[in-house]
Amino acid sequence: MRNQTSLNVFWIMVKRDLLIQWRNWAEFIFRVVMLPFILILTYGYVLPKIGVLPASFPNDLFPGMVGMSLLITGIHGTAVPLSMDFNNSREIEDRLQAPVPVMVTAWAKMFVGMIESWIGALLVLPISLIFMGQSLRLHLTTGNIFLLLLILLLSSFASAALGLLVGTIVKPNQIAAMFPGFLMPVIFTGAIFFSWSALVKLPFYQILVLVNPLVYINEALRHTMLGVGNAMPLTYSLIGILAFTILMGVLGMRRFRKMAVR
Amino acid sequence: MTKPLLEVHNLRKVFKKADGSQHVAVDDISFHLETGEIFSFLGPNGAGKSTTINMITTQLTPTSGTIKIAGRDIRTDPINARRKIGIVAQYNNLDRGLTAFENLVYHGRYFGMTTQAAEQRANELLADFGLSEWRQDYVKSFSGGMAQRLKIARAIMHRPQLLFLDEPTTGLDPAYREILWDHVLRLNRQQQTTVFLTTHYMEEPERFSDHVAIYQQGKIRALGTIPELRQLVPAASIVYATVDAVTAPLLQELNQQPFIKEILQKDEKNLAIFPNTDDQILQQVLPIFEQQPVKLENIRLSFASLDDIFVHVTEHPTEMEVKAHA
Ligand SMILES: Nc1ncnc2c1ncn2[C@@H]1O[C@H](COP(=O)(O)OP(=O)(O)OP(=O)(O)O)[C@@H](O)[C@H]1O
Ligand SMILES: [Mg+2]
Repeated sequence: MRNQTSLNVFWIMVKRDLLIQWRNWAEFIFRVVMLPFILILTYGYVLPKIGVLPASFPNDLFPGMVGMSLLITGIHGTAVPLSMDFNNSREIEDRLQAPVPVMVTAWAKMFVGMIESWIGALLVLPISLIFMGQSLRLHLTTGNIFLLLLILLLSSFASAALGLLVGTIVKPNQIAAMFPGFLMPVIFTGAIFFSWSALVKLPFYQILVLVNPLVYINEALRHTMLGVGNAMPLTYSLIGILAFTILMGVLGMRRFRKMAVR
Repeated sequence: MTKPLLEVHNLRKVFKKADGSQHVAVDDISFHLETGEIFSFLGPNGAGKSTTINMITTQLTPTSGTIKIAGRDIRTDPINARRKIGIVAQYNNLDRGLTAFENLVYHGRYFGMTTQAAEQRANELLADFGLSEWRQDYVKSFSGGMAQRLKIARAIMHRPQLLFLDEPTTGLDPAYREILWDHVLRLNRQQQTTVFLTTHYMEEPERFSDHVAIYQQGKIRALGTIPELRQLVPAASIVYATVDAVTAPLLQELNQQPFIKEILQKDEKNLAIFPNTDDQILQQVLPIFEQQPVKLENIRLSFASLDDIFVHVTEHPTEMEVKAHA
């Protein structure tokens, strides 16, 4: 038997997770698509069409939808299986028993969460084109595309790290409470329906929402996708994403280690 | 002598309970296992057997003490430890989203087997454990016994050097118990696999174990080979008697006999009589039963069973601390 390298085992674990996800692909698509679908339908189509929102609103909404879908899918994709694995089925024990550092299992879980978050972000595209295609005025250049990919990469990592933290804290019976108690506040304070700079009129709220990583993700996406516009300066949003990624990553890893070796 | 495969020194685990108080689950135990031996760790429910296994298998951090596998401290080198270990956990921790076949193949892959080697061995093990027909079924649809068989197959998939079996035969019918032991003994003979067994079925250690530890409330009360442990009970041979109902006068009469050292009433019908002598015991005991108004249903003389040793040791906790092997 050859000595197993961590990287090999990492890929085998990723393959396992993807296989299980693939077997539930219909449920996955449904879960990932429904939220952006209903929000885009309402805020990107119905409300602008009946004049409740200005016709330019869908264009501002689009980056926020991408950011939201990416973050929520990544958190969900990492946290829920992790919580079940550790608390209910304990099926993660077999992987933790592999002759590699226990953190390999955590990295594999996060990597799969990142892949899911990219799929989540991608699925927003067709929905947006269908319902608000005419209103979109994206401003993408070659330089922008690379920046955009970098932001998406960093953001998906942040979402998987947050998922790792949440998944090692939340118990399966609390997952139902996670949506109203955690994800909804993240969505509605996450600079999806407004840009952060527009909050100057509510200074307290403007400061408060800075604890939400989605604010930085969406502001960075808005900046790159729509041109400078009224978004937060790119350096700030990038620093925000980076800081959150590191913080969540460190806390999540620490929690994971505690759960893995009790 | 070669270095022991597993060395446990002054191992302790204290849990914090929900009410804030402390519970000592494992209380300063030491023992070692030589390569190739079969070691039974016997104790009542809640004694701390699984806790001990969890610490040795790197799943739980000890409060204090050291554990070495092949001479290396598992705390500094957990990866090397895990490479040598296979575990059948007490509960079902199979991968529910995978098929039986995939459970085995993925496990083998985690341990560095090639896909081809893993698939071949998985098929062999599935056949041996009567699961070929359910090869492509998800384990969430498995019965308790089927899941148990698959857990065992998975634990030996990568041919571990040190195999932990935490009550492996619970829920298995007698035929599969034999198959399990067949496999374990084969691994033990052919590859010197060392086995750490916990079980509540005393006939298993009696048949297979080299050393037995009797463990209670976090402490090892007795440790040795079965003949060594037999010396702990008042007599090497025991008279087992079954009557329609044990009466006080019968017990009194038996107690007065100079050739009887101790009597253990197992239940309302069964007695174990520890004699002082090995001569003509049955001939001396039988008349006593005949004088009493009880119906003798069965009587036999035999060596002290592990069951009796276990009961005796756990009921006289302070008297004996034998460390024949420690
Ligand atoms: N995570 C934990 N937190 C608190 N107490 C625990 C924990 N795990 C085990 N215990 C306690 O430690 C003691 C030993 O438990 P353990 O599971 O090791 O027993 P066991 O000998 O394997 O018993 P059984 O024969 O029932 O399997 C029990 O009193 C149990 O309640
Ligand atoms: Mg146990």
